[in-house]
Amino acid sequence: MNKDTIKKVLASNPVARPAYFRRPHWTRRGFFRLAGAGLTASFLGKEAKAQSGTCTSQGMTTLNTAKNVIFILMAGAPSHVDTFDFKNMPGVTPAAAAPETINGGLWPTGIMPNLSAMTGQFSVIRSLQAHALVHSLGQTWVQIGRNPAAALGNIAPNIGSIVAMQMAAERQPSHVLPTFLALNSDGGVSSGYLDATYAPFKVDPSTAGLPNASNSLGQTRWQEMYKQMHAEDDVLRVNSPMGQNVMNMDNLYSLGTNLMYNPQVQSVFTYSSADSTRYGSTSFGNALVVAKQALASSMGTRFVQVTIGGWDMHIDIYGAAQNKNGNNIFTLGKAFDAGVSALMGDLQAAGLLDSTMIVACGEFGRTPNFTAALGRDHWPNQFAFFAGGGVQGGRIIGATDATGATIVDPGWSQKRAVYPEDIEATIYSALGIDWTTICYNDPFHRGFEFVPQSLGPDYYNPVNELFK
Amino acid sequence: MNQALHAVRLAEMTAQVSAMRAAAMASPPGGSRTSGTSSANLIDSYLFPAMKAAGVTPARMTNDYEFVRRIYLDMTGRIPTADQVNTFAASTNPTKRADLIETLFSTSQWLDKWTMFYGDQFKSASTFPSTGTTLYSGGRDGFNAYIRNFLANDTPYNQVAEALIASQGTNNYTQGELNWIITSRVTGGPNQDIWDGEAAAVAETFLGISHINCLLCHDGRGHLTNISLWASNFTRYQAWGMSSFFSHVALAAPPVTSGVRTPTFWYANDNGYKVDYPLNTTTGNRPPRQPAGKTNTIPPSYPFDGSGAIPGLNYRQSLAAHVVADRQFARAAVNYLWAYFFGIGIVDPPDQFDPARLDPMNPPPAPWTLQPSNPQLLEALTSDFIANKYSIKHLMRTIVNSQAYQLSSEYDPNTWNVAWQPLFARKLVRRLWGEEIADSISLSANVPNKFTFDNGTTSAWAMQYPEPAKETSTLLASFLPGNRDDQPRKQDGSIQQTLALMNDGNVMNKLVSTGTGSAQSLLSLANATTSTPGAINLLWINILSRYPTPAEIVSATSFLSSGTRSQKMQELMWTLYNKVDFIFNY
Repeated sequence: MNKDTIKKVLASNPVARPAYFRRPHWTRRGFFRLAGAGLTASFLGKEAKAQSGTCTSQGMTTLNTAKNVIFILMAGAPSHVDTFDFKNMPGVTPAAAAPETINGGLWPTGIMPNLSAMTGQFSVIRSLQAHALVHSLGQTWVQIGRNPAAALGNIAPNIGSIVAMQMAAERQPSHVLPTFLALNSDGGVSSGYLDATYAPFKVDPSTAGLPNASNSLGQTRWQEMYKQMHAEDDVLRVNSPMGQNVMNMDNLYSLGTNLMYNPQVQSVFTYSSADSTRYGSTSFGNALVVAKQALASSMGTRFVQVTIGGWDMHIDIYGAAQNKNGNNIFTLGKAFDAGVSALMGDLQAAGLLDSTMIVACGEFGRTPNFTAALGRDHWPNQFAFFAGGGVQGGRIIGATDATGATIVDPGWSQKRAVYPEDIEATIYSALGIDWTTICYNDPFHRGFEFVPQSLGPDYYNPVNELFK
Repeated sequence: MNQALHAVRLAEMTAQVSAMRAAAMASPPGGSRTSGTSSANLIDSYLFPAMKAAGVTPARMTNDYEFVRRIYLDMTGRIPTADQVNTFAASTNPTKRADLIETLFSTSQWLDKWTMFYGDQFKSASTFPSTGTTLYSGGRDGFNAYIRNFLANDTPYNQVAEALIASQGTNNYTQGELNWIITSRVTGGPNQDIWDGEAAAVAETFLGISHINCLLCHDGRGHLTNISLWASNFTRYQAWGMSSFFSHVALAAPPVTSGVRTPTFWYANDNGYKVDYPLNTTTGNRPPRQPAGKTNTIPPSYPFDGSGAIPGLNYRQSLAAHVVADRQFARAAVNYLWAYFFGIGIVDPPDQFDPARLDPMNPPPAPWTLQPSNPQLLEALTSDFIANKYSIKHLMRTIVNSQAYQLSSEYDPNTWNVAWQPLFARKLVRRLWGEEIADSISLSANVPNKFTFDNGTTSAWAMQYPEPAKETSTLLASFLPGNRDDQPRKQDGSIQQTLALMNDGNVMNKLVSTGTGSAQSLLSLANATTSTPGAINLLWINILSRYPTPAEIVSATSFLSSGTRSQKMQELMWTLYNKVDFIFNY
């Protein structure tokens, strides 16, 4: 290798790097603060030390309007042109979509009957654009707010895990529920390199309630067994001769038992048939009931991810439930509509909508052109739905052309498309978390950027236009 | 350093260390030793003098019960049966520990466990959701078969690496080694992203140098300055030299016809492209790659010595040859295996080697320090691994026969200092894998499980799962087995683990009284044992692989003395499955 050649190539491939005066300033932050009984659970071979990491940030002013977030992942990529960026296409759009002009915008009242009547209570970004058109990659991307295939991408935590880490200091002894709850999200991204304490507590809600929260031998016998176990085992569990990891496991036993035979916990994870019906009688609706109950219980949950799949409608998108998933835009649109509208109503009634931000988006959008298979293929343009938590209602951010194929107006301060990283920044900012934070607790000690900064420390930005 | 000089210096070090060891052996670590381990164990000759020099007293030696449980779990993924424990404890053969180790090498459970371990290491999975690549269960099963075969034959690890890096073929189902190169394929970007992914995988899997992945996006300076002395002076341009060895690769699966991919297998060869890594991208998963002047391609160049393609070999074969000839290849393999057995690597994390801070004879400039916690030990083990034809079995044998490995995990909590961990002065406990928990519960309770796999086969043993991502039961999934894609296997604890151990159906259904003869359950057998101390011994030796302490006998006897005996027996059994000395390998 010739040195001049190397120099030339490097000069042509510059690495985005902040100017000196924009470099992060250093702040100390108690990082793995322990809550309540002590939530630490790192068994990574090494015994857990009281871990503290150093974090830096650009010192941004956050929105700080929300206390909780419900993040709805519309897996499979919903058609934007049939829902929140509706385009009436003669000869394609079925009459049953029943588009009506409401508040100056066109809404498919036949697909989203309830939300069409609530347009003053939520806002939509129509200039959102995906980076990639691969389902799994895109779904991971929106959950971690960065490229999963890039370095650190494969160990990146779910946004909810970062939130759980940042909220750890606010936990109280009465907070027996995990900070991050993931419903119907078994395949969802977990805590990446972070401690399992911040991992999503994954549950698929069913009428049976929380799994493994009771013992088949009954509560009385369970209590006796548990007491006997401690009688035999505390010699190893307390001030353990086997080391810190064993004491951590004992803490997790305490936290687990808090969830057992606890009527308040069971009431969070079970739901009435009346509520299930109001939310649309779907597993998605049931998960939203549980999400609402978890937040209303004030038992420590702050971030809930709910997944609703089946949007990958390549074939027969308007057909009478003939799509390969058994869904079409009407069935799934109505499931989403029923669940989210009921959720907004219930959060409002409980006085929680102002402090709870609901965010919904897929991994990308679908083709404006209607295919020979009577469906729509993959397309980068998409939408994001926002409500509550300080979000102003009735805003439409950005605009696409007549067919939904390209952005004609980004509609926000950055004058470019909104990307998943900006959605991530918006979530952090709404929760009062500085999205430019970098924490040096990652295993590479490279510095984990809450929102990627490779294009500059504040290239990605909260969509403040939703709030002001 | 040239090889001859290195050998001389190693000999000097060895002589020096022998003297230190002799001094150390005059005051051996506490506890009785039933081990017949040769005192010439390479590991001990470095670790004990280092502890002595640091003024740290090692933990006592394991007793027979601690050792037999530990070695069965670590080597075969299951606790020993009561008979196996009793036979071992009763033996007066001075070489019984070494003999047991040899026996375990030849069990099918050893193959199950290490197929899982190297399946994790090599990422044998049917799908890779984060990158959009699919190998199907057929590809994964073929890969698992290759791994199992390499372990059964103790194929030299350098040959394994060469096969995984450079194999060519037309069917990844029947030619299992073909899969590895496909696992790191990345979709949604240009071919350079795929080549970068493959270079990063070689660096991580076979060299323990994950920072290559960082360097494939940006220079080390400013990014890795405080982390890696080597990487801080390394450039993206140099890292591309490694990716360029993949620039002739063609990977393809037959096209999808009518919604079905038939057949579903992949082929891989090196006849795909004739141009070296071009600098012509503006989109994809990594920052743009742009030409400069007349330089618009990057030739293959091994990043650690600048070697290029070897005449007569294709690009991938050339890279494979450079990798296995690199001492770092052996060093990384040694350290990965060490990290499993000891809980932390000699370099830790084991995928973050800093090549500029390894040579004990050539330490880095201040303020940098040598990276390995015991550089001489790492070099000696590396030389020994190379001299023994890269035999994984030989390496494992050296590790588990060492007195260091056989130290107790028990240490006075008021005396222990976390800073002593890198000295390996005690054995760190290891939370059992979910597969080990399920299999050990089933084995001890004598109530078989039945797992149905996605390839249509069934098994009574969780360790035979073809990949962790398919372990979807509440019990197994709670132990964080990972998915060999974006979720690594984790040793973390979780609330779900405790709820599962206390209440999951898979655990609770072992506490039922059924079966006769050889199928008689442990509970049934305990209920049939009229002597209370006899029943307590039975539960303890079967589940905890040891006999109860006097305090435990008192506690358990009192517990059994009230209420319905069969119910109390059931409850007592439950307490043992929830004891930390069941949940951990200690």
